[in-house]
Amino acid sequence: MKTSKKSFAKITALLMLTGTAFIAVGAVAEKTIRGDHFATLRHAPLNTEPTPPPLTNEKEHHGSLARNYPAQAPIIPHQAHKYQINRKVNQCLSCHDRSRVHESKAPMIAISHYLTRNNHFLAQVSPRRYFCTQCHVSQESSTPLVKNTFVDVDKLVEASANKKQH
Amino acid sequence: MKMNRREFIKANAVIAAAGAAGLALPTKASNLITSSEFTKLEWNKAPCRFCGTGCSVMVARKEGRIVATQGDPDCEVNRGLTCIKGYFLSKIMYGEDRLKTPMLRMTNGKFDKNGDFTPISWDKAFDIMAEKWKATIKKKGPTAIGMFGSGQWTVWEGYAASKLMKAGFGSNNIDPNARHCMASAVGGFMRTFGIDEPMGCYNDMEEADKFVLWGSNMAEMHPILWTRVTDRRLSAPHVRVAVLSTYRHRSFDLADLPIIFTPQADLAVLNYIANYIIQNNAVNWDFVKKHVNFRKGMTDIGYGLRPTHPLQQQAQNADKAGASSPSSFEEFKKFVAEYDIDKAHEISAVPKHKLLELAKWYADPETRITSFWTMGANQHTRGVWCNNLLYNIHLLTGKIATPGCSPFSLTGQPSACGTAREVGTFSHRLPADMVVANPKHRAITEKIWKIPSGIIPPKPGYHAVLQNRKLKDGELNCYWVQVNNNMQAAPNMNEEGLPGYRNPENFIVVSDPYPTVTTQAADLVLPTAMWVEKEGAYGNAERRTQFWYQMVQAPGESKSDLWQLVEFSKRFITDEVWPKEVLDANPSYKGKTLFDVLYKNGQVDKFPLSDRAEGYDNQESEAFGFYIQKGLFEEYATFGRGHGHDLAPFDDYHEAHGLRWPVVDGKETLWRFKKGSDPYAKRAEWDFYGKPDGKAIIFALPYEPPAESPDADYDLWLCTGRVLEHWHSGSMTQRVPELYKAFPNAVCYMHPVDAKKRGLRRGDEVIVQSRRGETKTRVETRGRNKPPEGLVYVPWFDASQLINKVTLDATDPISKQTDFKKCAVKVIKA
Amino acid sequence: MIEILKKAWRILCKPSVHYSLGFLTVGGFVAGIIFWGGFNTALEATNTEKFCISCHEMRDNVYQELKTTIHFTNRSGVRATCPDCHVPHKWTNKIARKMQASKEVWGKIFGTINTREKFEAHRRELAEHEWARLKANDSLECRNCHNFNYMDFTRQSPRAARAHSTALASGEKTCIDCHKGIAHHLPDMKGVKGF
Repeated sequence: MKTSKKSFAKITALLMLTGTAFIAVGAVAEKTIRGDHFATLRHAPLNTEPTPPPLTNEKEHHGSLARNYPAQAPIIPHQAHKYQINRKVNQCLSCHDRSRVHESKAPMIAISHYLTRNNHFLAQVSPRRYFCTQCHVSQESSTPLVKNTFVDVDKLVEASANKKQH
Repeated sequence: MKMNRREFIKANAVIAAAGAAGLALPTKASNLITSSEFTKLEWNKAPCRFCGTGCSVMVARKEGRIVATQGDPDCEVNRGLTCIKGYFLSKIMYGEDRLKTPMLRMTNGKFDKNGDFTPISWDKAFDIMAEKWKATIKKKGPTAIGMFGSGQWTVWEGYAASKLMKAGFGSNNIDPNARHCMASAVGGFMRTFGIDEPMGCYNDMEEADKFVLWGSNMAEMHPILWTRVTDRRLSAPHVRVAVLSTYRHRSFDLADLPIIFTPQADLAVLNYIANYIIQNNAVNWDFVKKHVNFRKGMTDIGYGLRPTHPLQQQAQNADKAGASSPSSFEEFKKFVAEYDIDKAHEISAVPKHKLLELAKWYADPETRITSFWTMGANQHTRGVWCNNLLYNIHLLTGKIATPGCSPFSLTGQPSACGTAREVGTFSHRLPADMVVANPKHRAITEKIWKIPSGIIPPKPGYHAVLQNRKLKDGELNCYWVQVNNNMQAAPNMNEEGLPGYRNPENFIVVSDPYPTVTTQAADLVLPTAMWVEKEGAYGNAERRTQFWYQMVQAPGESKSDLWQLVEFSKRFITDEVWPKEVLDANPSYKGKTLFDVLYKNGQVDKFPLSDRAEGYDNQESEAFGFYIQKGLFEEYATFGRGHGHDLAPFDDYHEAHGLRWPVVDGKETLWRFKKGSDPYAKRAEWDFYGKPDGKAIIFALPYEPPAESPDADYDLWLCTGRVLEHWHSGSMTQRVPELYKAFPNAVCYMHPVDAKKRGLRRGDEVIVQSRRGETKTRVETRGRNKPPEGLVYVPWFDASQLINKVTLDATDPISKQTDFKKCAVKVIKA
Repeated sequence: MIEILKKAWRILCKPSVHYSLGFLTVGGFVAGIIFWGGFNTALEATNTEKFCISCHEMRDNVYQELKTTIHFTNRSGVRATCPDCHVPHKWTNKIARKMQASKEVWGKIFGTINTREKFEAHRRELAEHEWARLKANDSLECRNCHNFNYMDFTRQSPRAARAHSTALASGEKTCIDCHKGIAHHLPDMKGVKGF
């Protein structure tokens, strides 16, 4: 849905006016929930054995995935389970290392990855960042059971800028 | 219509969120806003909400919402890094299904244990709670009420809870979920050193030459500490890493010496190493003579099962499991002599050359060696022994409390140390390592708490596993669970936990931000503020205490655990809960509310609201009219100051990025027990001042078999545990889409040969079954965990696959900690 | 001794007096077939996975590693056995490979890689032999199944399609340049191009 700036402002103003009422409504809006289906990550009585969903595979995305905020470690947009990372070899770096990206066309590991614990830049990836999968994960093709209402900061910035203008 | 400040902030947040979420602005089409008036973020620090590593993160606030998190560059623990979970902290509070109002099981407007969850007000919630509590205390006394808390409570929440239970209701039936995770470590420390928590610190990781992991998958469970070990291993070519486990996992990717051993055989391997050190003249005599005593531990101590269990009845010394008798080096030498390389190999199935190499590492006087362990050693029916045996080999060689030489017990939860252990929220403990069974300790506590003597009962209360048994038996009837998901965590859910919670005689209250498996088993659910929705303090595994401010408002009517505890205390007057003879002897306490005697006692309410930092809300202090966190902390800190547990003044922690206690004269302590680095170590070069003579103890303890082993009917070992992407039961991380999709469901990791033998393929639906129950999951023969033939590994984060229906409620008889790593199961096609 | 050899030589040089030329020709031909067949049968017997993993060095190390990869188990059930990748299909190349294999027999007899630790110590050297061989023959054993002409780039992941339609198509790269370690654990890769 695309909303013009004007109508957005209108809605904002409306919400502003009814601010307190809105809270009051929000607070008691909960409905009765069936006792044996209360756990939203289970949706089954405790004394039953739900059928486990089939195993899924890591998804291949086209291009990189959006970050929630600048400092978030990027999600791996491709399958990665087959890449070996151990003391002897790091196959992620065979595409993402500085020396490899011109050929692989993969994004280079961030410059933070060259920093030691004491903030010195090294010639190659810092050993403290060696095991990629501690911060970076691929995504399986499954659908989360519960939605997340996290709001991107850009939207908040825009909303507050709009609020100020009108 | 008039709005107060908080409502105003809330209203703005709601508007902003509604505007943003509902109206879906095309982000690319809009002009870039560069005015810092709008783009400015408010940052402050907070410890990570998850594991015991205790990373600090910077948290950004905008319009009343958390919008970003990143590793804190100024915190020594993580220096700017966080693991995958830490990167998504910003999203853990925003699961769509946050609980927003108390919910009671009701039918036709009345409480009904089998009713559906119906929204009620806080007033009504406390009404029914107080009614049940009072009736139960009147009928059965204070031992029929209990509380199950957490190593994820903030320091003051644990402290307030402990006071409410032990000093308010006069019941010691309060235990934290840290019982499941750290109790054996505590037992080990208390037995060997007489004082809890590690002597070393994380700085050992930059100093050691050799690292040995004894039952710890640091790569997944303590990822940021693993980055420090990795850093050291890859930066300094002489450094070596040994990883010991019952199955292959991600930590093996760094291992120079990978060792898979038969479950329970760690006891034999540790005794072999002690024997090797002695046989090869590697004992550090100077150290041992000056700083060590020898004792022989009680054996055949049972498995912490119900007294009716045959294994329990067979055990000779189940009733005196923790006992020991004085011994000598010569006796110890004789005792471990039987653990030669042949015997160690026979029990453990570890190749002899690997055993030998490991023993040499410890024996070499030039090698600085650090041992790490977590749940492999602690969740063990001989967990305390395992801890003692680890200290044995460090004490024999004097490799302790100096940089790089460290037996280091890692912690599972963010404040298992800071809250559960230091505050003493266990059924047998009081603050600063004191215990309820000791009359002197009770007297000290009652004095500091300004309550009459005779209030704190001398008998230890029910520990975690016993609480579930007592609920089932109908002896524990009013039960309050905070900050944990014990229905998913506690062992043997089918036979103990679930019947206990659903016992019609019992009233179960669960405080949680989200609807979990435990709330589903509850009668009353209280919506709870989490993490930066309240001001808090955690203490990590290296004795580091870290504070944070309340940065945002909790949704709906959610309230912090602290508010819930203190507000509930207003519902009781002393006459209803304290023994009559104590009140008769101290009439000035009559007719007072528990709020008055516990929290408005002239100490906890000492600090005015104006002491709070500007710009941060504080829902509890605003509600009670005084800076309650500061009051609770300062009262609590008096227990430890001057006694080796010194905490810095409250305000210092809001400034510093964590400080390691004892903090004496403004200086933190890195290595305890060592003259020069620990201000309390005065009597000798090493001063183990937890013991009266300053000497630590080496214990002679044998190998004893586990409670349950595979047999013809149940032919596989089951080991349970965590995965990197999810914290504990997944109630927070499963609600972050990125983390959910990284590891959506539990699986049964299995050796391909074991799968083939059973006609199973990867992905097949299977039943994992034990003598106690079963769960359904899917076979995984690939991936990060590679069990040997004969063992399967199932993680427990998945609410839809409850592996704790299968696990055995055998505990270490000394620490009462469950062994979640060993029981016998079979796996059959579903 | 020398006398005996001389005598034997004389007999061999003498024309046959007992057997017809026809018999000798046909007989020789049949014997040749039997010998040739036997040789090849024996040779082929060594070209089976069963033979390869009859040595624990192969069974406990590389074969276990293979089992977890897509070349062993995958959606269609078509799998590669050891010789599919490690033994050339062309006879001359095969014989050349078998000559090399005599070194492996030597290694087996003297236990060069008879423990996990020793195997790990030699892993780089062993891997390098295979990389060099595949590089030299333009990844022939890969191409026996993965024929470039029949690749459908639209069915590949974006990353794979890009690499295959450029570097592989131009001949600048061969399979093994990028696909090291697809079926086994990699050795220490320090200094290996592309790592």
